[in-house]
Amino acid sequence: MARIQSPPILSRMRGARSYADQVAALRALKDEIVGHVQNKDKWVELNILESLIKILQSSYSSSRLGGKEVRGQFGQPRSLADEEEVRLQALQLLASLANGGPSFLGPIHAVGAIPAILSNIFPLEHPPQLVLTALRALSNIADAASLALNSDDALRSLADNLFVSRYLDALYTILSSDSTAVLVQEQKSLVASLVIRLCREGHHQNALANAGVLDALATMLAEFVVLRGEVVPGAEIIGEADGLADMIPNPAPRGANLALVLEAISTIIADSRFRACMLLCSPAIMAIFPSTEFSPPAKDTRTAWNALEMSGLSNLRAKNPSAVDYLLPIVPVTQPRSLSSQLAQFPPLGFSLSRESLAPTGQTGATRFSGWTSTRLDSASLNGDAEADDPESPLIPWLIHLVRSTSGLERAMAASVVASLFKAGFANPEREVALGVLVVPPLCQLIKDHDNYVDPATQNSAFVEPSMAADWAILERTPAVLARLVADSEFLQQAAFESGALKMVCKLLKDSYEPMSTQPAPRPWSPNPDRGADRGDNRVGPPGRLPIYAHKIKTRESALKLIAAMVTFKDEYRKALVEQEIVPYIVESLSPVPSKPKMGKEKPKPERATEPVEPAVENPAYGSNPNSVIIAACHVMRILGRSVSNLRTALEDHGVAMPVFKLLAHPDVEVQIAACGAVCNLVTEFSPMREALVDAGIVKILCEHAHSLNPGLRLNSMWALKHLVHAVDNNLKKQCLEELESGWLVQLICDDTEDEALHARVRMERRMSDVDDDDEDMDALAYEDGTRVWLWPAMYLPAPSLFASRRSQSQRMLKAEKKLVTLREAEFNPTRKARNDDLAIQEQGLNFIRNLIGPPTPSSMTEMVDYVFNELGQDRLFEILASKLRVKVLHPFARRYSSGRDSRVLHPQAKVIEAVIYILVHMAASIPRHRQLVIAQTELLKLLGGYFSSKDIDVRRALCHLLNNLVWLDDSTDNLACQQRAQELRKLGFLAKLEGLQQADSDLDIRERAKAAVWQLKVNH
Amino acid sequence: MSSLSAAFSLEALDTNPAIRDLIFAHLRENIDRMTSSASTTTPAKHAFETRVAEVKAPKSDINALILDYLMMEGYPKAAANFSKEAKLQSQHDPSIQARQKISQAIHTGNIEVAITALNELNPEILDKDPALHFYLLRLQLVELIRGTNGGNNIIPALEFATHQLGPRAVMSPEFLKDLELTMCLLIFPHESLDPQLAALLHPDLRRQTARQVNEAILMRTTSRREAAIRHLVKMRAWAESSARSKKKDLPDHIELGLNSGDDNDINLDKNSHDPMITT
Repeated sequence: MARIQSPPILSRMRGARSYADQVAALRALKDEIVGHVQNKDKWVELNILESLIKILQSSYSSSRLGGKEVRGQFGQPRSLADEEEVRLQALQLLASLANGGPSFLGPIHAVGAIPAILSNIFPLEHPPQLVLTALRALSNIADAASLALNSDDALRSLADNLFVSRYLDALYTILSSDSTAVLVQEQKSLVASLVIRLCREGHHQNALANAGVLDALATMLAEFVVLRGEVVPGAEIIGEADGLADMIPNPAPRGANLALVLEAISTIIADSRFRACMLLCSPAIMAIFPSTEFSPPAKDTRTAWNALEMSGLSNLRAKNPSAVDYLLPIVPVTQPRSLSSQLAQFPPLGFSLSRESLAPTGQTGATRFSGWTSTRLDSASLNGDAEADDPESPLIPWLIHLVRSTSGLERAMAASVVASLFKAGFANPEREVALGVLVVPPLCQLIKDHDNYVDPATQNSAFVEPSMAADWAILERTPAVLARLVADSEFLQQAAFESGALKMVCKLLKDSYEPMSTQPAPRPWSPNPDRGADRGDNRVGPPGRLPIYAHKIKTRESALKLIAAMVTFKDEYRKALVEQEIVPYIVESLSPVPSKPKMGKEKPKPERATEPVEPAVENPAYGSNPNSVIIAACHVMRILGRSVSNLRTALEDHGVAMPVFKLLAHPDVEVQIAACGAVCNLVTEFSPMREALVDAGIVKILCEHAHSLNPGLRLNSMWALKHLVHAVDNNLKKQCLEELESGWLVQLICDDTEDEALHARVRMERRMSDVDDDDEDMDALAYEDGTRVWLWPAMYLPAPSLFASRRSQSQRMLKAEKKLVTLREAEFNPTRKARNDDLAIQEQGLNFIRNLIGPPTPSSMTEMVDYVFNELGQDRLFEILASKLRVKVLHPFARRYSSGRDSRVLHPQAKVIEAVIYILVHMAASIPRHRQLVIAQTELLKLLGGYFSSKDIDVRRALCHLLNNLVWLDDSTDNLACQQRAQELRKLGFLAKLEGLQQADSDLDIRERAKAAVWQLKVNH
Repeated sequence: MSSLSAAFSLEALDTNPAIRDLIFAHLRENIDRMTSSASTTTPAKHAFETRVAEVKAPKSDINALILDYLMMEGYPKAAANFSKEAKLQSQHDPSIQARQKISQAIHTGNIEVAITALNELNPEILDKDPALHFYLLRLQLVELIRGTNGGNNIIPALEFATHQLGPRAVMSPEFLKDLELTMCLLIFPHESLDPQLAALLHPDLRRQTARQVNEAILMRTTSRREAAIRHLVKMRAWAESSARSKKKDLPDHIELGLNSGDDNDINLDKNSHDPMITT
């Protein structure tokens, strides 16, 4: 290959008279640049990109004019027309240039290459070779973007370009093609891998699901089930009966990639109950996995089950094992466990992670550890029993089977899908045990097996051996999968712990802080070195990161997630974690520009935030932490802070306070929210860091955040403030209230800010789109962004199958659609979300007042009660408290716009009631004058009387507290007043109610407290 | 593999004997290269061998194996003929023609043509595999140097090395070593070379590079690197060595079994990579 001088090719290309000339020139150019980074540089500088884009645009428009005689031969490679050949060559060149790495991204974007490439991905209009090459070019650009210095932004903008309805349709068409051609399989793999790499945000996940991409992927998964011969026996007969038989797909063709399909599915369904349900209800999945009971022909298989059931180790009858269950070993279930019961056991310190679901879904879904729980419980209560009846889909045991029978990435990704389904609550509760013994240990082993030594040459190379790349992919993903699986389950955490996950993940995190080589990647040697000098107008951007760098950052995030997920419940594990000497690494992960983790004795100098902050410079050996890593580290801190002993030892020793404090002022609001969450536990009474944080000025910052427009930030900052004012001296308390502004506090606890804002927004939109004002349903549906009514793609999209119309008559499909609509409503209704946000913030606001007027000493309490009365206004405060106990109707005049099921009637929440009562408890614990004041609030007390029968144990306990305090006798001077108070309470009928509690309450503690209160009431008679 | 030999010796293949012999010869040569077993011990009927004799492999499996071999190694016409005669459904592999063309080009030392054809088939292969690209270019340099033979005009070779290989050599110490070695060819007369240097001029280098390229293409299209039969041979070797290490009762030497029959007249010509059948 002699070196061809550049201008001839260029002029040949530009001056080409015919397509054939152009093709020849482009081919020659291709041989020049493929695999030659330097030549790529040179040609980009010669403005080749612009010429390529021009070729793409002009030849495409001319082909449009030429008509579409080629339509309909979708999927079959055919010989290309001349102009198509030109475009193919141009696309190949683009793809090859993109392979040059991140430094080519700038020029590629500058000429608008993305739209030009995207216009070639429509499989119905273009021959498969072109579609394939266009997808390759996109994929290479995505690869380059993931190594760019600002990879998050680069990937996001690419995703925004790709995941719009036009192109989503194209992706759907590609994925649902039933061609077995190798070309088409590669197209499908590329689409799946694009989804995996680019889809990171909730709205993209929804867009993909709603465009039918999820269903197409589910069908591909079903093809693998068919290929493995694991379709539930009788599926066809059942399908014949209800019209789904046609949806049983053909076996997966050669060249299809199971790991990619699983990962793409898992990417789309992550963090949403609704999307998880869409997977289960996808026609192909329903067709091959009908929920039917199965009796194996060989009786002895069944015998083992029966034996277990006899000894009480399984409840088979309740479960109706499907055929797939017989593929799994039998797991004895000692006791039924459920997620919700565990959450209830968790000490109501008030910061259960479920609250994090409030954080808007902006960041990568997985940073929200258990966003599920609230939606789960919420919708469970909504749908009541209707859903409990639904049998588990055999897809879940099949995926567990798949975890056991595959290896490598396939195993990790099968587990990832099963984790999403399990967390969404679609698995039987008994599955928890099966997951613990059948899934968690192999996953841990997977990480161990692939944690291989990286030789120095690879560390410093832009090219990674495929086998090493596969190892890395597993190490990056598996810990996060494990994290999602175990986060809400003590049993699964135990399983992971016993498999050595904690030690392993600590090693992973430490490894990710092994200093990277600070040398730049080796640049190819150049035969004419003087060329370097005239690079002034070089349009090629800076080289990006090395693959090892991206790998380390991803591993860091993944490991931190697993660490946080392992220690949510047990102090024992937190202790084990600290013993791994991992805290310094977590502290460094809090910093956007980490440095060498400071070990044990070399204690960091106490930093002061007042010091001038020098502009942070990245230390190339440790890289820089993107926000996702920082947020994950904040979560770890938050959870570690739950242990008092950790607060006093490890966290204090490693100087956690200041790094977290600095993050409060981070420019990204998601980081601020996470930092507020971490601060919550650092400012508690037992924390030795509280003083330092107060000195650094945390009060001011938190109060500022409490004024934020972001409900998540408001919530977490109020939470932290609540902890901060607990048991401190009055000056600080007063300072807090001053800084927060009493007027704002009133607003926070009083108004339904989010709901109002939403309502205002909706109203405004209505006024803006005045076209059909009398459409009454408009408001209710306004949130359906664009599409007024949601259509289930599986039901309404044109399907490749000729019998598609039968789908819409299938009973199972109709039932599934109904379920999906309900779930969607529960998950995406903004009114519901706004209301939940408001309630959560109100609860924190009330608790803030409660702590303001709380202990340490009675005299200080008295002072604070007076101060609060003064600041907020005594009558207004009592009125607010009373209003919190009333049933409330939101926007009574707007009701005609809301559909019936979205009732706008608010019943007071137990947590809010509890907070109100405890404020009164503290007032009543002050001097007799304040007790008197409380007694005088007849209306308030009457409202309280209604809550003696509350289902919530904490509310009943608080009431007993209150009554005890109200009839408390300070000294003899209070004697008369005390009797009056008792009299008043009896008049309100409280004695009878207390006696009721004393006799009939299910809880011993409540009975005892009620007894004491009854005694006091009677004594003071 | 012994089952395979059993099937062969039983004349299980009722195909054209000429094709069969050619295939046997071909398989044998390729497989012998992989397993360095060449001794000939006298067969004292061993228990193992009687067991082997009892195993009968289905004819269709054997035929499928052979077809797979022909497809993967890139013999489109032989594959087509074979599948016609053995009444197998011929599989469609779009890359097989291109693979044959590329292999042929490499075997004849026409590397530039091979690279162009490879880029036409799928430009990603060379773009994403710098090592493979380096080996191809190095072979091209060797061919250039071979052309100079004795040093009448070494300028093109020097130019090529400077512009194509030089920039890459820094990327990896291995590349650098290979390049240096290749450049030595310019200095020493080709008639009396070190074995190390002589190896570069030996056709084996072409063969090896051609195989690497073929495997790289196969990985892309079928995610399999080699024909199933090669895999079976390796598995057999592994099974034998692990059985021996566990002191199982085995004959001292187990024939690969492809040398059965009296086809000694087929000579194993070195240039077997040319198309076997010209129709």
